[in-house]
Amino acid sequence: MSSRSERRAASIDLDGAVGQRSFRALALGGVGVLTASYVRVLHQEVTSVVGGSQTLLALAVASMVAATVLAYTIRPRTAALAALVAAVGGFAYYLSAAGIELGVAIAAWDRLLSDAFTLATGLSILRMVEAGTWAFGFVPGPVFLSWYLAMRKRYVWSVVPGGFALLFLVLTGNAAIPVTLLGTLGGIAAVAFGELARRGGSIAQADILAIAFALMIALSLSVTAVPGGENGGPAFRDVGGPSTLEGAIDGSPSQSDIGGPVDLSPEVRFTATVDEPTYWRTGVYDRFTGDGWIRTGSMSPYDGRLESPPGEYETLVQEIDLETEIQTMPTAAQPLSVESDTVSAAEVSDHGQLHPTETLLEQDSYAVESAVVDPEPAALRTAGTDYPAEIRDSEYRQLPESTAAAFEAETASIVADADTPYEKASAIESHLRSSKGYSLDVEKPSGNVAEKFLLEMDEGYCVYFATAMTQMLRAEDVPARYVTGYGAGQQVDDDEWVVRGLDSHAWVEVYFPDHGWVTFDPTPPGDRQGANADAIQDARESGQSGIDTDQSEDVPIEDEEPDDDPDSTEPDTGNESEQPKENTSETNESEQPNESNGSQSPSTPGGVGEENTDTNAENEGGLLSSLSFETLAIGLSALVAVVAGAHRSGVGSYVSQTAHLYWHGSRKTPAADAVRAYRRLEVLLERSYRPRRESESTREYLAALEEDVDLDPRVERVSETYELATYRGTVSRERADEAIDLVDELARERLPMVGDSGTTSDDH
Amino acid sequence: MPNTNSTARSERGQQPPESLPVDTVAALCTEIHENVGRVIVGHDEVISHVITTILGRGHALLEDVPGVGKTMLARSISTSIDCEFSRVQFTPDLLPADVTGVNVFNQKRREFEFRSGPVFANIVLGDEINRAPPKTQSALLEAMEEGQVTVDGTTRRLPTPFTVIATQNAIEPDRTYELPFAEVDRFMKKLHLGYPDPDEESDMLERTVGHHPIESLEPVTDLETIVRARETVANATVEKPTREYATRLAGYTREHAHIGVSPRGTISLTRAAQARAVSQGRGYVVPDDIKRVAPVVLSHRIRTRDRDRDGESVVERALETVPVE
Repeated sequence: MSSRSERRAASIDLDGAVGQRSFRALALGGVGVLTASYVRVLHQEVTSVVGGSQTLLALAVASMVAATVLAYTIRPRTAALAALVAAVGGFAYYLSAAGIELGVAIAAWDRLLSDAFTLATGLSILRMVEAGTWAFGFVPGPVFLSWYLAMRKRYVWSVVPGGFALLFLVLTGNAAIPVTLLGTLGGIAAVAFGELARRGGSIAQADILAIAFALMIALSLSVTAVPGGENGGPAFRDVGGPSTLEGAIDGSPSQSDIGGPVDLSPEVRFTATVDEPTYWRTGVYDRFTGDGWIRTGSMSPYDGRLESPPGEYETLVQEIDLETEIQTMPTAAQPLSVESDTVSAAEVSDHGQLHPTETLLEQDSYAVESAVVDPEPAALRTAGTDYPAEIRDSEYRQLPESTAAAFEAETASIVADADTPYEKASAIESHLRSSKGYSLDVEKPSGNVAEKFLLEMDEGYCVYFATAMTQMLRAEDVPARYVTGYGAGQQVDDDEWVVRGLDSHAWVEVYFPDHGWVTFDPTPPGDRQGANADAIQDARESGQSGIDTDQSEDVPIEDEEPDDDPDSTEPDTGNESEQPKENTSETNESEQPNESNGSQSPSTPGGVGEENTDTNAENEGGLLSSLSFETLAIGLSALVAVVAGAHRSGVGSYVSQTAHLYWHGSRKTPAADAVRAYRRLEVLLERSYRPRRESESTREYLAALEEDVDLDPRVERVSETYELATYRGTVSRERADEAIDLVDELARERLPMVGDSGTTSDDH
Repeated sequence: MPNTNSTARSERGQQPPESLPVDTVAALCTEIHENVGRVIVGHDEVISHVITTILGRGHALLEDVPGVGKTMLARSISTSIDCEFSRVQFTPDLLPADVTGVNVFNQKRREFEFRSGPVFANIVLGDEINRAPPKTQSALLEAMEEGQVTVDGTTRRLPTPFTVIATQNAIEPDRTYELPFAEVDRFMKKLHLGYPDPDEESDMLERTVGHHPIESLEPVTDLETIVRARETVANATVEKPTREYATRLAGYTREHAHIGVSPRGTISLTRAAQARAVSQGRGYVVPDDIKRVAPVVLSHRIRTRDRDRDGESVVERALETVPVE
């Protein structure tokens, strides 16, 4: 025992010399990693989408440089004040950019506070209209303060501002698991190495750190690897529905993700009473992050009447009866008003979409009056590009900063012959419809989805089509937005439509001056409906419940296209007019087997995309990839922990000792064998009694043991052989073999050593 | 243990003609020890040390109060091995020639002839060596180191074996010439007899009331056997691990004291360990031999930095700390 601790003490003496300098470097590195983590989140999640990456990085670097320069010239109090000023200044800058006067902001401090809370409960920063500006205002404070404190060797304090910054981004859901983990580890490393530097620790103590880090990684990742926790992680991502189409659309109130392969849910969502088929819009998104859509702006309570489109419109009255719980409020595009006996309140997004304030229940129903904008193509052609300021300056023309030039070039070549925004939209729509196939079974590409879909992928589903088209239009400076909802559904009566989960769809709205938002749908309609009909048929055959209403079972299906589409226009019209027929025929074909089953297959003409699937798909795809990543990370960190733990606890040497205890190994020279036999004996004795002290000779050791217990005579015999081999330098083969055999025997008997002799003399 | 010895002997192969088998030497040591034990009561450790000093070609320094049997010890040992014994009582007026001998003019032959001093003996007891002036001391010490004396330009070899057992008076330090540090180094061992314990003392009294047992002590061996036994000791194996251990011990004392053990000290340590190994019936030295002799071999060669500590504590600490392997 003493020998071991002496050895350890000696080794600590040795590497104590490794020096505080390297610890300081490591601690600074930790602070650097923490800083980099939240700057990267801002860069990756915000400025790479809305622009300004250069500015952001320049700000961060400038803050660090300032902190380094000022580290020894200003006092901590001054520095904290400077950071505070920077933060307040940044906030004021953001407010002014967002068009809010400072006075107003101060007066409405409670709203600001509640906004901050809202952000911290999982609202992505990207929902803020001026997200980029916000990021610029956000960065300098924590970067400056934490680096300043780190330079002054206040590592613990330096982690506080950085940690808060990262924590905030975690709460907003912008920080992904790996970055968060990295930042956290950086912070802990800064504190740990800072302490080591301060107290003069040694490298040997770093194995504890390794264990702690590995534990943190393994624990944090394994939590998300638990089934049901897929969406977990630090980000409060909106959990999608249970693998249904609506999951993607309805699941998240403010964002719509793009996923991988999806399934269709044949469950009936609602029944609509309306004169004309129409797309049922549930969400409008304006900001594209590259792999998903986010709705910026805030929600305001619905107070009676919504803004109507600037141009001509027809009103369309719909009555919606819900068949399941639903978190959205499907309406025909441009709702003007809503009435309901059962739904108490609704709110309106900045984009004019109605949302329920709480989940709508199965028996809820509501009536909506919508303004259908359906101008003639000729009118749209002449609409010009004189966009009102609120459209021109909004996110409707946003492209992620990282969008490749090839994407814009490809778009430009597609719309080469088009002069007006309408022609461009039509050209893009027909190009996508004709050049890309429809498939629900696509792997989500990494990077910018619109870019990958246009340039690399051959097929996709509505989400991909709509995303690509929206982005392409924006590349051509045409304001466009991504819209989700449901297709028209299955017509069960003159004015009744049954809408299922699989009718979930995504499409595009394009803004035309003097007219407003006009619907375009780049998804090839026929393929989608075919897929939907198949899904319904499968569900019916398997006897799934909830896929039909009374009416939909009895009434032959007749699908109609929604009128909302700018169908009247040439390419659209062509497609659309074909659409219903195709749909009908397909429906009919598919209906026949259904009819024999006594059921009907619905055919949704308009949009029977499955968008909900996005979420699911994303979950699945994400889960797969994240699982492999997590498994890998867990495995790696577990390995690190095991190695460090083994080093710490000496398990490794224990194991190898034990192996040698029972197995002598290959024979070598008699002397070497005799020595090895004796070493095994020492291990045996050590485990039964106590280890031999370094300064203790064999005889002294055995004599000391002998004081307390009667040693087996074989022990003495082996040690004599050892002495011959070591101190006389020669030992006979027989003698060495005898020693090996004796130790083998003793090992097998596990040292009963004559008599009980459990009395170990620990150290004396 | 007998088994080990027989193996050792059989594997040693051809032995130099002069050396004796290890077992014989071990038995001889026991015999001498027992014989001496008839005169000296107790002090087994010291007796062993003196015997092994003779076999290890060294000299011993006994430091003690008067009257504890130093002279008796030396005499009984020399009687036991049937060798020539002489005793020199060192006094302040003792001259070097009184030790080494002197050339005397023989009137009859008209020439100088050498009249040898007491140093020409196999075992020389230098009593109270620290009472003599340095010059006289050094005459003896030169003889110890060189195995020869030079008188008037003529060098004469001393008999073999030649062992000095010097005693040093630990009391009355003001009337002594303390041995220089460099000369103390020439003694293989520094021993302390100390007072006998009460039982031993009464036993001693019982033996000495009548005739002193020394008068009737018989030799148990002869000089030739002793010479051959010394050869056996010199041939005892000192393997590398043992040598390295001795070196580490010396190194430790050099690091932890003002003056540590000299290389001569390391040689003495090894030789003493060899003698001990053989006296135990072993033809090879194990670390335990080193450990056993280290305190008496090393302690007097160490000058500590700290007055409160002495050489013994340094050696003790070294034995507790220095790894054996």
